[in-house]
Amino acid sequence: MSPDVAAGLGQASALSSLIATGCGSLIGLVVGMLPGMTISSGIIIVLPLTFVLDPQISIALLLGLYVGGMMGGSFSAILLNIPGTPSAAATASDGHAMARRGEAGRALGIAIGASFVGGMVSFLGLFLIAPLLADVALSFRTADMFALVFFGLTIVCSFAGASLIKALLSAALGLAIVTIGQDPVMGTARFTFGETEMLAGVHFLTAMIGLFAIPQLVENLGDAARGRPAQRIARGMRQVLPRLSDLRAMRMPVAVGSATGAALGVLPGVGGPIAAFIAYDYSRRLSRDGTEYGRGAVGGIAAPESANNGVTGGALIPMMTLGIPGDPVTAILIGALMVHGLAPGPLLFVERGDFAFGIIFSFLWANIFNLVIAFAGLRVLVRLLATPRPLLMPTIAVLCVVGSFALRNSLFDVAVMFAFGLIGLAMRWAAMPVVPLLLALVLGRQVEENLRISLTGSQGDPTVFLTSPIALTFLTLSVVSVAWSLRPPGGWIASLKGRRGPPPEELES
Amino acid sequence: MRGGLKPFVAVQMRSRDVVTGAAFLALGLAMAWFTAALPVRSLPNTPGPEFFPWVVTVLIVALALMVLARAVVRDAGAGDMSGVAAQGRERSPLAAAGVLACFIVYLWLLARLGFVVATVPFFACLMMLYGERRPAVVALGAAIATAVLYVVFRHLFQIILPQGLLAGVVP
Repeated sequence: MSPDVAAGLGQASALSSLIATGCGSLIGLVVGMLPGMTISSGIIIVLPLTFVLDPQISIALLLGLYVGGMMGGSFSAILLNIPGTPSAAATASDGHAMARRGEAGRALGIAIGASFVGGMVSFLGLFLIAPLLADVALSFRTADMFALVFFGLTIVCSFAGASLIKALLSAALGLAIVTIGQDPVMGTARFTFGETEMLAGVHFLTAMIGLFAIPQLVENLGDAARGRPAQRIARGMRQVLPRLSDLRAMRMPVAVGSATGAALGVLPGVGGPIAAFIAYDYSRRLSRDGTEYGRGAVGGIAAPESANNGVTGGALIPMMTLGIPGDPVTAILIGALMVHGLAPGPLLFVERGDFAFGIIFSFLWANIFNLVIAFAGLRVLVRLLATPRPLLMPTIAVLCVVGSFALRNSLFDVAVMFAFGLIGLAMRWAAMPVVPLLLALVLGRQVEENLRISLTGSQGDPTVFLTSPIALTFLTLSVVSVAWSLRPPGGWIASLKGRRGPPPEELES
Repeated sequence: MRGGLKPFVAVQMRSRDVVTGAAFLALGLAMAWFTAALPVRSLPNTPGPEFFPWVVTVLIVALALMVLARAVVRDAGAGDMSGVAAQGRERSPLAAAGVLACFIVYLWLLARLGFVVATVPFFACLMMLYGERRPAVVALGAAIATAVLYVVFRHLFQIILPQGLLAGVVP
């Protein structure tokens, strides 16, 4: 065992880190299962704490929350048919069907078991692949880094939803916001309007809190009655641990789901929901009797649950080795690490190898804690589905204010947070996705820095990006990524042959 | 969505796209104005501090024009209606405005009255907006929640919160 691996294991297994991981898992399970709450909301809740905690403890807490949130989302999907997180959407049909048959405990047990296996498979992927990828990434020059970060930015296409133009506009707004403050190469003040507090620019976490939390606070108005049906269904919960026959039935779906989740999680932009639906589909096709799916099949719960937890470890690979977030939550994790002066990327493994492996082992512990807490406290956790909104939502509102204030002890940041909340609401009104803006805020500064340093080095010659094989590869991938998003219904080939897919109106219905 | 409602919703979405496109066009033009005023401190043939803002400006203007063009050209029955559909989920625009107004007043009071004094009424107002109607529960809930949050953040996590009126009174 290398010294860094041993040190990382030691850090992640220290009592303080373990307590943080356990607390994170518990909070994650709770926020994940509460409809209207997301993993991002959970992170907002604990964010102020991470500023004062040791970096290793902070990351242990956040990873516990990330993994717990993924699993918690399935609880409300199964009990209420309302996915707590988008990643649990695929679980809802079979999970809720099983719960309605009076087997809520069995469905939850299968979900917990499958999530654990998915998480462990993705841990192995993270442990084995991340250090190797970091080694490769160390040889990247600025032109390569620009191409890589630019490729990361094309992830916005994955979050485009109905309109790619609006997604790109959202990303462009993020890039515009990134230009506020001192420029990253020469330190020239830009768009500060004489305000000294603007010199440091807009902090990514301040923006994130506003963008996610304020629209959610507005959206949750009037949802106070939610949660009661879960209590009724949960009353019939006797058997929680999966039966032997269930374990047998779970083997194939879990294998498919774990492999799909871990593999797809590595690709930036492919989050839990996509992996869960793909795993569900493959599992249904591979099963002996696919007609059971949708009516409470074991595989219909196990495949998507193992896939969405498999994604978590996969998404940490590009985050840790390249500094590219795989999904919105890992984007927030990057911001949380930056608060502590730690920039995820290949250098993290060289300069702070112990910390990098500490993250990996904290992820392992998070999965173990999740399993234990979920099985041991399931009956109590389910009761939390009836948490009164009149108490929960104001608490989140105050935590948003404390979180944005505590970042730099600045009321100006609180005002900025609120302004971003209004931007988030306006974007929602205009049907613009928020995630591209978030990704641009994370990656924008790196894009500008690497672009300008590369062009300065080449005396303004843009062919510098085409002469490096690595840069050329990533730029080609960027073009493919955008072209894939622009493909017409039915695909390019069908379109070229004159065969058109269904018109947009039909697709919407 | 019912067939009779669809053209109406599409028209509504189209007008939103016009507003969105116009707003971003204005932003792009404002950015161009301010970018043009940035100091040029670059060596020959190298990008200066104004280079990236210009790239973003061009991107915003081009995309805003595309949104506008699409909104103008688009058939009233087609298009992206997710925004309007999402709007339908908001139950009360008045309550939403209430939440935002509470925030604005809270931010103003926070700097003047401090965390404890400003948070109690803010919390109470939000509790009422989220459906709590019992005065005793609102008053007690707001006071206890504020006290707990203050103690946790100030004393457990050593985060300095604005003291305001209670500076020197509350530890």
